[in-house]
Amino acid sequence: MTLQIERVSKSFDGTSAVLEDTSLTVRDGEFLALLGPSGSGKTTLLNVVSGLTRPESGRLVLDGEDITDLSAGRRRFGMVFQSYALFRHMNVADNIAFGLRVMDRSERPSKAERRERVEELLAMIDMVGFGERYPAQLSGGQRQRVAMARALAIRPRLLLLDEPFSALDAKVRRELRDSVRDLQQRVGVTTILVTHDQAEAFGIADRVAIMREGSIEQIGTPDELRAHPASPFVESFLNAA
Amino acid sequence: MKAKHLLIALAVLFALVVIVLPVAVIFQRAFAEGFAVWLAAVSEPETRSAIVLTVVTALIVVPVNIVFGLCAAWAIARFKFPGRRALLVVIELPFAISPIVAGLCFLLVYGAYGPVGGALQPYGIQLMFNLAGIVLVSLFVTCPFVVREVLPVLSVSGEDEERAALTLGASGWQMFRLVTVPNITWALVYGAILATARAIGEFGAVSVVSGAIRGQTMTLPLQIELLYNDYNTTGAFAAATVLALLALVTLVLRGLIALTHPVRGAAQ
Repeated sequence: MTLQIERVSKSFDGTSAVLEDTSLTVRDGEFLALLGPSGSGKTTLLNVVSGLTRPESGRLVLDGEDITDLSAGRRRFGMVFQSYALFRHMNVADNIAFGLRVMDRSERPSKAERRERVEELLAMIDMVGFGERYPAQLSGGQRQRVAMARALAIRPRLLLLDEPFSALDAKVRRELRDSVRDLQQRVGVTTILVTHDQAEAFGIADRVAIMREGSIEQIGTPDELRAHPASPFVESFLNAA
Repeated sequence: MKAKHLLIALAVLFALVVIVLPVAVIFQRAFAEGFAVWLAAVSEPETRSAIVLTVVTALIVVPVNIVFGLCAAWAIARFKFPGRRALLVVIELPFAISPIVAGLCFLLVYGAYGPVGGALQPYGIQLMFNLAGIVLVSLFVTCPFVVREVLPVLSVSGEDEERAALTLGASGWQMFRLVTVPNITWALVYGAILATARAIGEFGAVSVVSGAIRGQTMTLPLQIELLYNDYNTTGAFAAATVLALLALVTLVLRGLIALTHPVRGAAQ
C-alpha cells in the first residue's frame, strides 16, 4: 500500500505539536521511520495517519483512495502504542483476537477461525502457550510483541508504531528491533515508525524522514542522510545521537 | 511503645463510644421486649409503607445516578471543553450544601409557587410533597458519589486502551462496553453503594419536600423521627434497626469489595 500525505496541517490542540503543510509519501512495502526531537510533530503526524486526530486541512490518499474522512476503525491500520495499551482485563488471546471480534457480522471470522488465527500469531511472535496469561503477568518485551500481534491480527493495510521500544532496556530493545523488522518483512506490510532515537531509526528503517517543527526537514535512506545532510539541523541531529 | 498503645487505646475507645455503642443500643432497645414485639412494630402499616417508599426511592435514584455519573465522568475525563472545571465543582456542590438548604431550594423552584412548579401547576403536575419530590432531592444529595469514584479511575487509565480499540475497528459503543466499562466496574459499584446508603438514609432534604403525609410520603428516616416524637420508642427503635440493617448490608458489600479489590477499580 502506498500512502500519500498531502499538505496536512494541524494546529496545537493542547497535548500535541503542530503540523504545517506537511507532505510525505510512504512507498508500498517500505519501513519508514519518522525521526525528530520531542515537539517536532512526528506523533501528531502518526495520529493523523491513524485517524485518531483530524487534520484541519490536507488529504490522505491510500493507493488512490482518499481516506481523509474515514474513521480510525474503517482505515484498518494496525497501531502499536508507546504504552502498548493492551486490554488489562483480557488475556493475551482475547487481546490479539479483539480486532476480529469487533468486525461487522458479515466479515467476522467464526470463533474457531479466530482461535486458529490467534495461535498462528502467537507462533509468529514466539509466544505459543501464552494465550491464557494476562498482560500484568508479562515482561515488557512480551507485552510489546503481543501488541504487535494484536495489530497484525486484522491484516492491517498499514502498520503504525509509536515509539514501540522506548519502555524497554537496551538489550531487549535490540532483539525486538530485529524481530519487528523481521515480522514486517514477512508480512510485507507498509510500516511507519515514530522514534526520537537516531540509532533505532537508522538501524531498522528503509528510509528515514527527519522532522522539525511540524514539517519534514529531509527524507532519504540512512546512507543518503549520512552522506548528504541537507541542513545544519539534520547534521547536528545525526551527530548528537 | 507507650505512645503507640495510647494511640490505639484512644482510637478504639473513640470508635466504641461514638460508633459501636449507639448502634448496639438501637438493636438492644428494639429487641428489649422480644422478637415478636419487634416484628409487630415493623409490620405496622405506616412503618411498612415507609420501608417500601424508601426502597422504591433508592431503586429509582441509584440507576439514574449511575447513568448520569458515567456520562459526566466520561465527559470530564475524556474531553476538553469550556466549563469543564466548573462542571466538576457544580457536581460536587451537594457535598458542601446542607441537605436542608437543598430541600428548601427545591421547594422554592419546584413548589407550587416556584417558577417550574408554578408553570406545571395548570397541567395538574405536582412535583413536591410526593414521590417525585423525594426522588428529586435524593438525586441532588447523591449526585456526586458515582462521579467521584469513577472519575479518578477513568482519568488515570484506559485512554490509550480506548484509542487502541478504535484503531482495531471497534465502534464507540463496542469500545465503551468491551474496554471502558470492565476497567471501571468496581469503582462504579462502589459509587453506587455509597449513593444507595445516602439515598436510604437522607433525612434533612427529604423532610422539607416530603410533606410528611403519614403512610404516604414518609420515608424510613422521617418515620423514625415521627415515632420517636410520638413517644413510641419501641416502634422508633424497631424501624431504626431496619434502616441500620439496610446500611449494614451496604457496609458489608463495601467491605467485600475492598477485600477482593484492594485497589478499587483495578481490574487486575
